[in-house]
Amino acid sequence: MPEPESELSSREVEHVARLARLGISQDEVVRYRDQLRHILTAINALKRTDTSTVPATAHPLEERNVMREDRSEPCLPAEAALKNAPSREDSYFKVKAIQE
Amino acid sequence: MRAFEAVTATRYEVVVGLEVHAQVLTQSKMFCGCSTDYLVAPANANTCPVCLGLPGSLPVINRRAVEATIRTALALNCEIPAFSKFDRKNYFYPDLPKGYQISQYDLPFSRHGHLDFDVNGEGRRCGITRVHLEEDTGKLQHEGAIEQAQSSLVNFNRAGVPLMEIVSEPDLRSADEAREYVMRLRAILQYIGVNNGDMESGQLRCDANVSLRPVGRTEFGTKVEVKNMNSFRAIHRAIEYEIVRQTEVLDAGGRLVQETRGWNDARGLTVSQRTKEFAEDYRYFPEPDLPPLEVSREWVAEIGSTLPELPAARRERLMANFGLSPYDASVLTSSKPMAEYFEEMVRLGAPAKAAANWILGDFSRFLNADHKEIQDASVKPAHLQQLIALIDSGVISGKMAKQTFEAMYRAPDPGPALTAAKGSSQISGDAELAGIVDQVIAENEKSVTDFKAGKEQALKFLIGQGMKLSKGRANPQRLEALLREKIS
Amino acid sequence: MKLFQRTIRDLHQMLLDREISSVELTESVLGHIDAVGEKTKAYLLVTRELALRQAKDADDRLRAKRDVKPLTGIPIALKDVLCVKDVVSTAGSKILRGFTPPYSATVVDRLESEGAVFLGKTNCDEFAMGSSNENSGYWPVHNPWGLDRVPGGSSGGSAAAVASGEAIAALGSDTGGSIRQPAALTGTVGMKPTYGRVSRYGLIAFASSLDQIGPMTRDVGDAALLLQSLAGHDARDSTSSTRPVPDYLATLRKGVKGMRLGVPKEYFVTGMEPAVEQAINDAIRLLEQQGARIEEVSLPHSDVALPAYYIIAPAEASSNLARYDGVRYGYQAEGAKNLIEEYMLTRQQGFGAEVKRRIMLGTYALSSGYYDAYYLQAQKVRTLIIEDFTRAFEKVDALLGATSPTVAFRLGAKTQDPVAMYLNDIITIPANLGNVCGISVPCGLADGLPIGLQVIAPGFREEIALQVAYAFEAAADFRKLQSPLMRAAA
Ligand SMILES: [Mg+2]
Ligand SMILES: [Zn+2]
Repeated sequence: MPEPESELSSREVEHVARLARLGISQDEVVRYRDQLRHILTAINALKRTDTSTVPATAHPLEERNVMREDRSEPCLPAEAALKNAPSREDSYFKVKAIQE
Repeated sequence: MRAFEAVTATRYEVVVGLEVHAQVLTQSKMFCGCSTDYLVAPANANTCPVCLGLPGSLPVINRRAVEATIRTALALNCEIPAFSKFDRKNYFYPDLPKGYQISQYDLPFSRHGHLDFDVNGEGRRCGITRVHLEEDTGKLQHEGAIEQAQSSLVNFNRAGVPLMEIVSEPDLRSADEAREYVMRLRAILQYIGVNNGDMESGQLRCDANVSLRPVGRTEFGTKVEVKNMNSFRAIHRAIEYEIVRQTEVLDAGGRLVQETRGWNDARGLTVSQRTKEFAEDYRYFPEPDLPPLEVSREWVAEIGSTLPELPAARRERLMANFGLSPYDASVLTSSKPMAEYFEEMVRLGAPAKAAANWILGDFSRFLNADHKEIQDASVKPAHLQQLIALIDSGVISGKMAKQTFEAMYRAPDPGPALTAAKGSSQISGDAELAGIVDQVIAENEKSVTDFKAGKEQALKFLIGQGMKLSKGRANPQRLEALLREKIS
Repeated sequence: MKLFQRTIRDLHQMLLDREISSVELTESVLGHIDAVGEKTKAYLLVTRELALRQAKDADDRLRAKRDVKPLTGIPIALKDVLCVKDVVSTAGSKILRGFTPPYSATVVDRLESEGAVFLGKTNCDEFAMGSSNENSGYWPVHNPWGLDRVPGGSSGGSAAAVASGEAIAALGSDTGGSIRQPAALTGTVGMKPTYGRVSRYGLIAFASSLDQIGPMTRDVGDAALLLQSLAGHDARDSTSSTRPVPDYLATLRKGVKGMRLGVPKEYFVTGMEPAVEQAINDAIRLLEQQGARIEEVSLPHSDVALPAYYIIAPAEASSNLARYDGVRYGYQAEGAKNLIEEYMLTRQQGFGAEVKRRIMLGTYALSSGYYDAYYLQAQKVRTLIIEDFTRAFEKVDALLGATSPTVAFRLGAKTQDPVAMYLNDIITIPANLGNVCGISVPCGLADGLPIGLQVIAPGFREEIALQVAYAFEAAADFRKLQSPLMRAAA
């Protein structure tokens, strides 16, 4: 099991920021690194807890097999769908060049 | 670049695994009530807060999509775990409204199945790793190639359409095997009514993982993922291309990079899309908005009980009942409509072998050329059966039949062309008919006397005999008239 | 007594008796918003026209006596995380500035069908991430009990509005204490129902497995009344429970005689202000005098609730907030060369510091190599916390403790130290992870600042929490306490 909070590096912070599509400046990298290290240290007790025999809780409820019947319902009027679009062309959303 | 033949006798073993994405035939989308017929709808008209990923919206599972997936898994001999769940696959792309795709990660609806198919009559088996359910993305449109485009337009009508992902084991060893596998898989999906099999419109999509390894080596070579092949032919060509390309790299002592390459059908080659040295990190985690599913054995049994006869079984039956060759039986059963067309012809009295030859011969050639499915052709089983009958009774020659068939195929109504074929060779001249009439009277004294005694039935019999002698070419009206005056 | 100072139940009676009209009532509240709104900054948007239109409709209903409901004509404030059709809904974030949803949240539809009047959208920490309202993308909220103090968060605007008389009642949302803690810091009543009790459809998500909408009111009776109309199954939220909703008002006055009330020793956390500890002990004694049997209990994993929460909530948030990319709605950065750059800039400029911090923390916790150590481990710890509560509720009917270890602190006091800020929720977080329900009810003042008593009951037993809180409220008379901003008007 890695010990990230001790070794959380600027590179990791930059990697995480890119995964999350968050632009951050160089000094933000350092600030976030230090703050995240501080937080990870503060919550370190989590990793000291023995959970070897404990199942994970992903869904707090007892509900199972919640499904709807396959019936089609009215959609939004296309205008309502597009009214908040920052950039559009006709009834399409428009985005910048995708090349990465 | 060398021809495929030049490198097929290579020291490398080809290793191919396929990922097929099939849209599930449902009325409504995977997690919302929006209609799934996105092909016809105006841009973004088939959307709602859920499939647009608006803040606050929540998904609700479409039961039919789940049952279709289990149905498919059963048809592919998969195990169906008793517990399953949905997960979030996180990545950013403009056609992905929520910034994550609701998919299945570690507990899919099914795993460990297999698909049997054959390559030129030889049986093959490919393992099925898993069949899981997810949601489709929206569609991007842009001027020219995506790499060059200055901007793209996004249409979310397709976003949220239920999508099955069928992952094969890397068991395929050639482009031929890959193509046959997909053909058989497509047939099965159509047979059980979960997908329409339309590859050109992308409702059935195929990605291939292709790698080479020295013959005898057990560990896999560097795999390349080939995308956007939208026909059987494209799948075959793309994989052959990759085999040649990779062989050349290896022969030249080079190393292959793990990457995604797109098939360019027009140029007939694959183009590198993105290299995976910076591997994606999808950060899968259980979808908190959807409680998990308990798949009871009763539910599975109920779904299984509705499965129709599958291609493999039908193929065996066609071989056993009609003595078709393994090859003919395979091709006929590779499309449900085609198999049904064939069986309908036989039901109408067509000889099986002839029916198969016609369907798999000119008929298929015309259909492929026109990108049409057999059920859309104007020539119906009855028409083709009658045409074959004309040949068998010698009314028309094989050569003439071919012309007649083309005429029938091209016409919106094949009827006239068929009648013309009959008519064109009919004998109406009294001179010719006289000989036939005399022979009939000579050979059927009993019936003649019966008729004289007033038995109308007898005349019918005599006309039948005349038709027979004339190989059906005699004009029945004239024949009857002449018989009446001769006898009385 | 001014109309805007009254409870839903009083006003409902007055409306029934035609003593007042909903328009008069609504104007009274809107007038007070004009008077003190600049002091509290509780609202991001006041929907004056909508409110008066709804008030007129309510008056028609009342006049015609046509399906008059307890909330018909009652002016209510909505936390900005709730989507209201064609009304700007931003979750307190600049990235959603000007966003007008084409649909309404289920709870909004329910209130509307009851004839409630919508005053506007209340301020909150951006995407409900915070405990002081200082993380609002627009401006901080000031506590009506002391304008240099925070109202708590994230539902600080709703709390301040109810405390100052700028709303008769309000809706909040609670992921780790965001209803109860601001209620405690503003001397109001706030309830977090059990996860699944109230539909989340239309609630702009923070952490999907923890978020829950709840009532924020002047007193416990109003909380029961408001919860009654919020609770119940919703086919659009797959995680909403199908359990029947009990009649919360029917059991409200049963008292605590013979009830077993547990006091978790872990809830007297280090750093708790002596005045708060004193007030809680007094409150416990008062309930004992009312005939309750008090027992000390232990929730041994309380110390890891906060760490587990600060993995689970940010992890889910990092995914929930991925949709804010500037493509379909919301803020889009200028001048990017290509799409990826536009994503980076849009999210860099659109999100505030705390939201970015949590997105990074959550992304990190889910990223390959760390998933098991953090997210999976946190989910296992969540199981332990659920088991703690299950065991405790085998012995007692409800649990008692402070809602917040401190009274309202000064604006800016903790903004430089995220961890210190996180500690505000140390006693409220376990109820979210443990999937139980909790309510905060005023139990005293320290230097003129309110203190809250938290009552925690088992999952889907809101009626028990309400019953205990009501008994306390009736016995201790803190209901009469009014914030200076409310009193000034009297
Ligand atoms: Mg997939
Ligand atoms: Zn939809």
